[in-house]
Amino acid sequence: MSDVATELKVTAASDIEIDRETLDNSIKEFAGPNGNYYVETFHKIHDNTSFIPKTFNLWAAVLGPLWASSRAIWGMFWAFLILEIIAWVQIGRGLWGTPGSEFLERAASQAETMQRRLDQAAAATEQADIDRFTKLAENMQRAIDTNMERVEQAQAEATGIMITGLIMLLIFKLIQGVYANNVYEKQYSRWRIDPETTESGRSNRNAVLGAVLTVAIAPLVVYRFTVNASMELLEAFPEQQISTYFLGEGNGTLFGAVASWMEARIDAAALAGDDVFDGIVSGVRTVLDGLTVALNGSPWPVVMLVIAVTAWRAAGPRVAIFTVAAMAYTALLGYWALAMETVALVGAAVLLCVAIGIPLGIWFGKSRRAYRMAEPVLDLMQTLPAFVYLIPIIAFFGTGNPPGILATIIFGMPPVIRLTALGMRGVPESIKEAAVAFGASRWQLLKDVEIPLALPSIMTGVNQTILMCLSMVVIISLIGGGGLGQEILEALQFAAKGPGLLGGFAILFLAMVMDRIVQGAFRRKDQQD
Amino acid sequence: MSETVVKVTDVWKIFGTRAEEAMAAVKSQGIGKPEVLSEFQCVVGVQNANFEVARGEIFCIMGLSGSGKSTLVRHINRLIEPTAGKIEILGQDVSTISESELRRIRAQQIGMVFQHMALMPHRSVRDNVAYPLEIRKISKSKRWAVSDHALGLVDLTGYEDRLPRELSGGMQQRVGIARALASDPEILLMDEPFSALDPLIRLQLQDQFKALVAQLRKTTLFITHDLDEAIRIGHRIAIMKDGVIVQIGTPEQIVMEPADDYVREFVQGISKLKLVKAHSIMKPLETHSGTLDGAPRADHGADLDQLIDLAVETDQPVVITEGGVDVGIVTKPCLLRGIQGGKDE
Repeated sequence: MSDVATELKVTAASDIEIDRETLDNSIKEFAGPNGNYYVETFHKIHDNTSFIPKTFNLWAAVLGPLWASSRAIWGMFWAFLILEIIAWVQIGRGLWGTPGSEFLERAASQAETMQRRLDQAAAATEQADIDRFTKLAENMQRAIDTNMERVEQAQAEATGIMITGLIMLLIFKLIQGVYANNVYEKQYSRWRIDPETTESGRSNRNAVLGAVLTVAIAPLVVYRFTVNASMELLEAFPEQQISTYFLGEGNGTLFGAVASWMEARIDAAALAGDDVFDGIVSGVRTVLDGLTVALNGSPWPVVMLVIAVTAWRAAGPRVAIFTVAAMAYTALLGYWALAMETVALVGAAVLLCVAIGIPLGIWFGKSRRAYRMAEPVLDLMQTLPAFVYLIPIIAFFGTGNPPGILATIIFGMPPVIRLTALGMRGVPESIKEAAVAFGASRWQLLKDVEIPLALPSIMTGVNQTILMCLSMVVIISLIGGGGLGQEILEALQFAAKGPGLLGGFAILFLAMVMDRIVQGAFRRKDQQD
Repeated sequence: MSETVVKVTDVWKIFGTRAEEAMAAVKSQGIGKPEVLSEFQCVVGVQNANFEVARGEIFCIMGLSGSGKSTLVRHINRLIEPTAGKIEILGQDVSTISESELRRIRAQQIGMVFQHMALMPHRSVRDNVAYPLEIRKISKSKRWAVSDHALGLVDLTGYEDRLPRELSGGMQQRVGIARALASDPEILLMDEPFSALDPLIRLQLQDQFKALVAQLRKTTLFITHDLDEAIRIGHRIAIMKDGVIVQIGTPEQIVMEPADDYVREFVQGISKLKLVKAHSIMKPLETHSGTLDGAPRADHGADLDQLIDLAVETDQPVVITEGGVDVGIVTKPCLLRGIQGGKDE
């Protein structure tokens, strides 16, 4: 026992000797060329306890971004490349820019006029004419003098600009020199944690890359901002010339060629898949018709009563009162039928989203490979602006309510798929294993364990989907979707402020009522668990 | 304790995409674990396991984490498929039976208890216990009756309609045990059932479990990383290390005759009070010179604990008898050495 005790020695922190050798070797390995210099500076940085850096890297100051690139500190490279270019632009403007050139031009033309007047005075024979022309020439001379003064002023300013540029450059160089070693030391710390992906040492490849980038960027930018008469090539991308180069003179542009090719493809596809697209449209229409009959076909007092009672049962009395008020608003302003059409549209879209989305989500939750393949598509569905896919939808499915529902489904389905998959993956392995150990089949496992445990997540997905479908109501009126969205669109076209706002509030109340009822229903269910 | 219920013969489990090739190489060339890893990128989970468990026996499999004990026990109900070898339950080879037959065996003949309880949070305690019966499509009235009976066995009457999360950890694990017992299985697989519980609750449950199994005569495979628990519960213990079964024996055999240094190291800290019996530490009668009249007497099967109780009452040694005849004595030095796991010379 006593041997162990003697081996363990407790040392106060202040007495601990710093083992420099391993650290030095590691810094040398990281820095590569010029290792000893970095060993020394890194030690200074490590010993420094104030926030003011105490080292100065001369090469970093002189070479600037080129030093950063050779040491693969790309963040510093880009930051100071941009800053130095700004400084160089100022210097360029002062050195070879032509400040006050417009005054100089004016003075030159005025000098010409003066010469003409003087000639006229010399050629004149009558004294009155001579006086008149001489007087005019004198006036001109005064104008020239004013302009020349202005030119001088501008040129004096130019010197100021140049000096500002020089000072800026100097400051940037100083900052680089002072902070370079600190930045490099940070890179060293990162490299110690992750030597695989953090670049170390000095490489010619990086130095060349930095030089190429600098040469490609700096002169063009400086030229563009300092010389008044710029090259036409740099102003705008020369797509016209390139089109001519590829297609020949008079054959239109690349844009035209690609666009008409795509149009032909889409038309051909629409024609070829005619039956399929018609089938989809009639399927969607069946669902929509069913809902429309239920909401708009039934007597309005019945529908109102059912909605109010649903709100009460699902979300409590406060939501029920709000629902009744919202229904009164729509009905009194004559929006009732339109509102019910909108609810039918959204309802049909949500039903289809859930019917397709939940099975897909279950599949993606079980198969990682399928999910990886589907993920880009889901991202696309959510990020693609709705206006973009409205066009192919018109091409394939025509206009009206069913194509509008299809557009809504594209936008609204990803959340329910994602959250179902997420919920399925979140089911604890141990509970699944237990069910299997007691003899559950795959179907029993899904029905008794996976779906019930994933249900909260699935319900969140359904709620999200409902809200996203609602947000499409106005957009789909662009392709002939009916309901309140169409009212808004018409008001927009005639800049009718009153009707537009009233219709807008009707949609807002609809959305709030739907959201409150659905959320209330889910919350109550959660509380039961 | 004669009929064999579980028989495991030459079972290997190799994990990895090239497990079959690795297995073939192991069989033909006899390569070891490091070679399997370096050549085939496969990990050996279980290496050539052989054992039998008799009806009513509690067979403990003890090992540290990563020793393959959980993997091994999952072969019994084929939650994990063996790479090679044979597993028989009541004489039936489970590695060859069909999917539906396997499900029937899992539902009727094997009950399993898990370290993390694995109860379904959305079902009441009663419905959790009844789940194995529900899988077999047994009527609800029958299910509930069986479930209530099983909950009675683990002293949880009155909690049937609670949700699992309303119960404490120890109670939840008792629900797990009730669930495993509900379908009245032949075999119980216990995968570290008490490891996640407080020490006191663990002791309680161990005793409760031991009594329950003795009463129901279930054949049990009990996994644990705690040698104390294995000794308390097991009739026999198998010690595993790195996928290999190092030693199989009764608790006394394991403690008194460890097969190698690894087992010896484990056994060192184990209390011998209940394990070491009088006959293994006693000295011949002749070594005592004085009179033995009035000395306390104990049977040769008495353990150290009982001997100590007798010895503290007197200055004389304890006399050990066998069939009423005095056969030896246990002096105080004998006792003290015995507690250390040795013998007074």
